Amino acid sequence: MSGIALAKEQSVKRRKTKVDVPKLIGFIILLAVTVAMIMPLWFMISTSLKTTKEMFVYPPSFIPKYFAWENFKELFTNSEIKFGRQYMNSLIVGIATVIGTVFSSSFVAFGFARYRARGSNFFFILVLSTLMLPYPAIMIPQFLLFTKLGLHDSLLPLILPSFFASAYMIFLLKQFFSTLPNELYDAGRIDGCKEIRLYWTLTLPLSGPVLATVAIFSFLWSWNDLLTPVLYLDSQENFTLPIGMAAMLSSKFRIAPWNLMMAASLLSVLPVVALFAIAQKRFVEGIVLTGIK
Amino acid sequence: MSKKAGKLAIGFTLVFGLVATACSSEGSSKEGDQVTITHYTIDSPDRTFVEKLIPDFESKHPNIKIKVTKAPYEQFDSKLQSSIAAKNSPDVTSHWGYGGFMEYYNKGMLMDMTPYLNGLTGADYNIPEDVMNIYKVDGKTYGIPLNSYVTVMLYNKDLFDKVNLPYPPTDYEDKSWTFDKMVENAKKLTVDSKNLSEAQYGVDFGFGERDQRPQYFGADVYSEDTWTNGGKPSEINLTKPNVIEAYKKIYGLIWDQKISPTPAFSKSVSGQFGDPFLSGKIAMSVVGSWSLAASSDFNFKVGVAAVPQGPNEKVRSVLYVDPLFILKDSKHPKEALEWIKYLLTTEVQEKSIELSGGNPPVNQKAAEKYYSNFEGIDPEQIKQVFEGAYKYGFESYNHLISNYSQINDLFINELAVVENGDKKVEEVLPNIEEKLKKLLERVNK
Repeated sequence: MSGIALAKEQSVKRRKTKVDVPKLIGFIILLAVTVAMIMPLWFMISTSLKTTKEMFVYPPSFIPKYFAWENFKELFTNSEIKFGRQYMNSLIVGIATVIGTVFSSSFVAFGFARYRARGSNFFFILVLSTLMLPYPAIMIPQFLLFTKLGLHDSLLPLILPSFFASAYMIFLLKQFFSTLPNELYDAGRIDGCKEIRLYWTLTLPLSGPVLATVAIFSFLWSWNDLLTPVLYLDSQENFTLPIGMAAMLSSKFRIAPWNLMMAASLLSVLPVVALFAIAQKRFVEGIVLTGIK
Repeated sequence: MSKKAGKLAIGFTLVFGLVATACSSEGSSKEGDQVTITHYTIDSPDRTFVEKLIPDFESKHPNIKIKVTKAPYEQFDSKLQSSIAAKNSPDVTSHWGYGGFMEYYNKGMLMDMTPYLNGLTGADYNIPEDVMNIYKVDGKTYGIPLNSYVTVMLYNKDLFDKVNLPYPPTDYEDKSWTFDKMVENAKKLTVDSKNLSEAQYGVDFGFGERDQRPQYFGADVYSEDTWTNGGKPSEINLTKPNVIEAYKKIYGLIWDQKISPTPAFSKSVSGQFGDPFLSGKIAMSVVGSWSLAASSDFNFKVGVAAVPQGPNEKVRSVLYVDPLFILKDSKHPKEALEWIKYLLTTEVQEKSIELSGGNPPVNQKAAEKYYSNFEGIDPEQIKQVFEGAYKYGFESYNHLISNYSQINDLFINELAVVENGDKKVEEVLPNIEEKLKKLLERVNK
């Protein structure tokens, strides 16, 4: 008994005194990487709280001498920036794009995944081949189309295309839908489900991970898009966030207000972070699943 | 099942409802014989201030409405090109993007304003006639100047005081203020140190774009005919001895004399802010006069001086004149011209200085007010510097040479190895000449 107790005590002692070198090195490397990753974020926060004069101090101050919270206030009160309005517009476009992409792409993908018809492969390849077209190739025809429809200078040209499905998302969803077992659908049909209901009550609820993936991707793309809004939007009331933020830096004759820009960037990251926080579990799952199959 | 389908229907209605309410601001209003003129500009406060001038203009011209459309600087050209392709082009704009006057002219984007001018001359708006002439081709007017920037020398008074050096003069006729004298001063102001927080440089010679700099040393990169034949150089002189000498002098400031900052230094002290002068580590900086607008934000006392006399007696400054154009597809050129004329009046040009935060007016009467616009700098000095710069100025190449954005990119990319100190000027120039010739052949077919 006492021998065992002694051995235990010794092992505890040994654990206390002996340094696990590989672990320590690993820890130091991880710490260094973490600091390197956090630095830009830290400078974003720190610059967002600096006054214009402090922005130019060399070497740059790590922590602002004076916390200029008014930078954030100015974003919302400066009538030339219209940050709040642009934020709303971006949210509207982002949310509508997510809804449009999720429904339209999953609907098309459902068709490709669950039904066989003459030439369906050909059409699938046709859809995929649109992935090869760069945006500038369709930019002007699409611009003409929406202008003729009288939709110029409104948010609709940014939203409507997402209701006509996207090739990439169709591909992603189709791959997932194809893996759902046929027996499920047979059982559904025996219970008297119409085809649309197989899509709505069977396929969609089972596809949480991949739908979360599609939602995040489409939101991110719409949130970051600059070129399309620049082409279509003319009046400041309709501008989205990327235009507004690009405009802050757009003068070649002036010092860019980097402190305001950083404050705006900080706020603009929030919805993306929130979306990730909500969808994280499903998103990671989704990547793993679609990755395996 | 019908319940679910109902839910689906409600879902979609909500979606479209959201979309529809979000975008109900569509509306191009046209009442009676009222005419709407679109003014397309860069989305930055020094350009979009024109919105504030609209109410006054519209009350004086009840039949004309002005609509301002804008895009960020980087996207300015792509939006303009697609608008023109979609037959939705604005009426009034300028070459505020990367493209220059000749580029617009050669693409056939500009309207010949001559028939609508009705004898309008520069004198009506106190615009010097030679500035007016910049935008005339074969006697036809394609643009009317609005703002005019020049090259100035800014200097850091604090650094001069530290070594007890007299400030550089503002008078362009002061012939003792030469390039060599500047180099001599710069040597006294340079602190050569590996330590970034101690290092300090005497001069940053940012005269014009890279292909315009040799002009200061009396050498021309392009043949004379470029200025008269629509901006298409027939010959490139990059391998001529005087051009090589000029480039050697320019880059010698960095690598032989070590009185100018290396690109690496500039980048590390100015970081994202672009101009190393702002960091307070450059004593003299030859730059475009737009840098003046920010003078009150500097962390040090700033002065303005004449660009020193170089080997070329005639050219010491680059003129950057921003004109207004009427685009070819405009349906109402007469009304568009009314708007342009309004922007040129002394009263509006004076107002614009303040609204824009310091844009230099082309109207010389309004310019008087501009000179007194800078905190801590004597208006008389600024006036003297500007007038000298006009007298010894040459129009910026990007306004005169066709396809300039591509040419300029070529120079920036190819000369980077010289600026970084990896290669010598004479090794690189023949190479640039070859590439430039090929580029010109392709674009000027």
